[in-house]
Amino acid sequence: MNQPIAAQLLRREFPPALLDQLVALLGAQRVSTAAAVREHHGHDESHFPDALPDAVVFPETTEEVAAVVRACAAHRFPVIPYGTGTSLEGHILAIQGGVTIDLSRMDRVLAVHADDLDAVVQAGVTRKALNAHIKDTGLFFPIDPGADASIGGMSATRASGTAAVRYGTMKENVLALTVVLADGRIIRTGRRTKKSSAGYDLTRLFVGSEGTLGVITEITVRLYPQPEAISAAVCCFPNMVAAASTVIQAIQMGVPVARCDFLDPLCVKAINEHSKTGLQEKPTVFFEFHGSEAGVREQAETVQAIAAEHGAEAFQWATRPEERSKLWQARHDAYFACLQLQPGCRIISTDVCVPISRLAECLAATEEDIRRSGRLVPVLGHIGDGNFHLCIIVDPNNAHDIEIAEQMNHRLVERAIAMEGTCTGEHGIGCGKMAFMDAEHGDSLEVMRMVKRSLDPHNIMNPGKVVAV
Amino acid sequence: MTWAGLVDAVKSAGAHGRALRVRGGGSKDFYGQALEGDVLDTRAVRGIVAHEPTELVLTARGGTPLAEVEDVLARAGQMLPFEPPHFGPGATIGGAVAAGLAGPRRAATNGYTGAIRDFVLGVTLLDGRGEVLRFGGRVMKNVAGYDVSRLIAGSMGTLGVILEVSLKVLPRPPAACTLRLALPDPARAIEQLNAWGGMPLPLTASAYRDGDLALRLEGAESAVKAACRRIGGERVDDAAAAAFWTGMREQTDPFFSLPGALWRVAVPSTAVPLGLPGAQLVEWGGALRWLKGDADAALVRREALRAGGHATLFRGGDKAVGVFTALDPVKARIHARLKAAFDPARVFNRGRMYAEL
Ligand SMILES: Cc1cc2nc3c(=O)[nH]c(=O)nc-3n(C[C@H](O)[C@H](O)[C@H](O)COP(=O)(O)OP(=O)(O)OC[C@H]3O[C@@H](n4cnc5c(N)ncnc54)[C@H](O)[C@@H]3O)c2cc1C
Repeated sequence: MNQPIAAQLLRREFPPALLDQLVALLGAQRVSTAAAVREHHGHDESHFPDALPDAVVFPETTEEVAAVVRACAAHRFPVIPYGTGTSLEGHILAIQGGVTIDLSRMDRVLAVHADDLDAVVQAGVTRKALNAHIKDTGLFFPIDPGADASIGGMSATRASGTAAVRYGTMKENVLALTVVLADGRIIRTGRRTKKSSAGYDLTRLFVGSEGTLGVITEITVRLYPQPEAISAAVCCFPNMVAAASTVIQAIQMGVPVARCDFLDPLCVKAINEHSKTGLQEKPTVFFEFHGSEAGVREQAETVQAIAAEHGAEAFQWATRPEERSKLWQARHDAYFACLQLQPGCRIISTDVCVPISRLAECLAATEEDIRRSGRLVPVLGHIGDGNFHLCIIVDPNNAHDIEIAEQMNHRLVERAIAMEGTCTGEHGIGCGKMAFMDAEHGDSLEVMRMVKRSLDPHNIMNPGKVVAV
Repeated sequence: MTWAGLVDAVKSAGAHGRALRVRGGGSKDFYGQALEGDVLDTRAVRGIVAHEPTELVLTARGGTPLAEVEDVLARAGQMLPFEPPHFGPGATIGGAVAAGLAGPRRAATNGYTGAIRDFVLGVTLLDGRGEVLRFGGRVMKNVAGYDVSRLIAGSMGTLGVILEVSLKVLPRPPAACTLRLALPDPARAIEQLNAWGGMPLPLTASAYRDGDLALRLEGAESAVKAACRRIGGERVDDAAAAAFWTGMREQTDPFFSLPGALWRVAVPSTAVPLGLPGAQLVEWGGALRWLKGDADAALVRREALRAGGHATLFRGGDKAVGVFTALDPVKARIHARLKAAFDPARVFNRGRMYAEL
């Protein structure tokens, strides 16, 4: 079984010599064993119990990261890369102890090649910081997970966002990487060229490896010209399935919808309370269109007509930039808004993705499951991709409550896998979803284990995540 | 040979230490370092397994003719967004994915774009032990574990036989227009291509040679019209335009019949014209430079590297100089280990990519 191995068994004592070496490498200022710092790095946004690293280091260059990894490798001591800690499946928990490499000081945009439509950034640059940096170039970086995550963390989790239908996810938008391997060697994968060098596509292998194959220190990402015109609209539907069908039909007709995201009435209620948006509490889709003035108008008209066929109400427009950003900010804050529905609670966020043709069926069965449970479960998602989330609200101090929520997630994952879907469309495996890997991958999991062993023979890179070896 | 037949052939080859050469229609036999071993013909494992037009996903057996796949899609108003070259009538979809080559549309700036791997959603692979493994599936987004299906794209059959592949497909753009412009100065032409590339224009192909630039614009009617007005130049009639882009994609354009070896040089799109002897053709908005002639291999590689790219000896020439740019020792070791994870007995395509794989 692909299960996180009982952590306390594997936790080893922190070698005092290693601490001395780390201090010698980075100076006492950038190596911390303080309880507060370890606590901060020992929990993520998930509901999992904390697991603190033995030390946290703050390197500033690829060479420093390499030196840290070399030192840890010599002691066969775990290394946990850390971006902004916003992942949702216990990705950064130091379940076997170890040294957390916090990349937040590697926050420089190294180059912007406006003509080549790419930028080279250090791993700790956040998506918002990158967009602020390139604001005046007429370009933008389109991937926007709900949190202001680091580009390194986003690469490591193969993150996506509200614009994936049009611009893809991290896997399509990372062109090249600098990676520190498990033995401390540095490699550069890919180049700033469209056709990567010959050989296996190592870039794609590291993208989504969740820190288990190496530490990503620099990333070359693709940028896009800012569209000439942007318009955003909100549209209410009679139910979730009608909303999903509209989005799918629009994409199938080739309407290049830039962003579209679904929120159920409970979710709308939550964001209304949190972000004062005053939206109708109905099944709702947020749309955004990018293109020329004429193109945007044309796209919006087509989508409105399809929506009307599915019983939707008229679009409400947000054309001014402030209105638009307020709307999408509210959408991005939906997770935090949902947390506020029940003070003191945590959220178990599900993340299945199913083939588009099965989405309506999957949504309907899931809605029924929620109804029968009688729980508070807001639903939202990137339905254009077949990916949606339940935010199952739980009391973190009530084991029974968590158990019931996890059962709901299990049923959903089983349903999705039976429909040829996946347990995770964008959040990743971490330790939270490891148990689903057998059902989803069967024998292929063994090859993933071999891939892990090929790159990290001593299992020091974020051990106990993704695949158990 | 059936699916089960392939499995048996691979198991037996593995047990006897024999090499197999995975082959569909053989249209890309010219590509790569060496051909070794008995042919393992994939063409009996064919047929479209699933294509639900509303889903924008097509699943086909590896030995399905590429032409058949494209036909089925065309009838539904859809296409393979990476415009893979056939290089011959027998090309199969499995071969196209394994070769990882994309046509003129590769560098489109309006979303009708990408490399083959960006559209591979899942593969069913026959590995070197004779095991049938599935990676990914038919879903648009999947982050459950390592992205093995994308590792397979472009691996040139060295990791396994693609038995089945699921691909994301796209609707055909409703409108298209090809423009022709005279730009005598190559450096200026590259600058201009890059300037357009940075604008929100629906550019889906470009080709520049000898002062003559061809641009293809595709998308919504209004967007194409607006872009044509903005760019200017002379409109090429649709039939001639289609023939021209086919010539680029299939390398039947007269450029490819010039004497000498054909080098494929990938560079950042802004790289200045390469200072190399021979004829040059610029594609992908400047990011791809074809070189035809007898330039010295070491010189070509040096110039490619200087421009921030790399060079492949695509067709012809002396393969002893290495078809692909050599790997550094660290990467070579990773390659060997990955190869061993999938194909420990080195059954598949020995030496096709690098001698030691
Ligand atoms: C409110 C909210 C909304 C979200 N919405 C989305 C969404 O829409 N789409 C989506 O995809 N995700 C979403 N997420 C999840 C999360 O934001 C993403 O997974 C994000 O990519 C994590 O980035 P991070 O910098 O916080 O990484 P971390 O949480 O710090 O790390 C994540 C994983 O990557 C590894 N890692 C981090 N940096 C590196 C590095 N430099 N090299 C190697 N490994 C590294 C870590 O070891 C860990 O395994 C959301 C999270 C929250 C809290």
